[in-house]
Amino acid sequence: MATFELYRRSTIGMCLTETLDEMVSNGILSPEHAIQVLVQFDKSMTEALETQVKSKVTIKGHLHTYRFCDNVWTFILQDAVFKSEECQETVNRVKIVACDSKLLTQ
Amino acid sequence: MADDHSSAIIPTLQNIASTVNLDCKLDLKGIALQAQNAEYNPKRFPAVIMRVKEPKTTALIFATGKVVVTGAKNEGDAKYAARKYARIVQKIGCHLGVKFKDFKIQNIVASCDVGFPIRLEGLALAHGAFSSYEPEIFPGLIYRMKQPKIVMLVFTSGKIVITGAKVREDIYTAFDSIYPVLTQFSKKTL
Repeated sequence: MATFELYRRSTIGMCLTETLDEMVSNGILSPEHAIQVLVQFDKSMTEALETQVKSKVTIKGHLHTYRFCDNVWTFILQDAVFKSEECQETVNRVKIVACDSKLLTQ
Repeated sequence: MADDHSSAIIPTLQNIASTVNLDCKLDLKGIALQAQNAEYNPKRFPAVIMRVKEPKTTALIFATGKVVVTGAKNEGDAKYAARKYARIVQKIGCHLGVKFKDFKIQNIVASCDVGFPIRLEGLALAHGAFSSYEPEIFPGLIYRMKQPKIVMLVFTSGKIVITGAKVREDIYTAFDSIYPVLTQFSKKTL
């Protein structure tokens, strides 16, 4: 199954990449293995978000900029309110990058 | 009503569609990636769809350099918006050859409310040569005026849409010629 590399830029993805880089430069891990771990990370993130995350969040804000190119939507919101069942938080500026997961199964 | 043959009503311009040629081959993907508020989905439509907030308009930007600007409320805004799009494209990457050629207003749409209900069947019968009224298909009467060459949608409610004009004077002339006719078919005069 093909996956997006979208989640590599998340905090957890960046930490993983950093750790793998360190291990490769210390000679503990081969670069090929490191790549394999990252590919597995892409798959696991997609799967985990699909099957294990039940909570729903709504995001509402003023749309400052949008873009649609190469099947990727990019939105920049101002004064966005993130609402979930438990809490609510306002963020001054937020960038949303969204891909269509249906494209992977084609 | 004191004077049946003229009205104080002035149709309000609702939309102006215009075109301009930037006279330069464009890299649409580059434009979509670098400009704000752009959509580019070549599988669905072969142009970049871009919007600016002021004047609030939408442009279709084609690879040939041709641009269609819609949504402007007056002629000045249409041209100003077209210039803005040309500027945006020019600032992106390798589009130094951008020109501003053959700007033209292609269509003006206006609307108004005559303030009284209209008997569309009567109007359709009396002006059969110009009218097409098929309430099963569309609730409005389509009136194709010959001089000026304008299309009007007349609704029972008294609301009118005037379209097909290239200059605003044609809208006003068309409305002034149809208004006395509409008063004849006012439901109140029955």
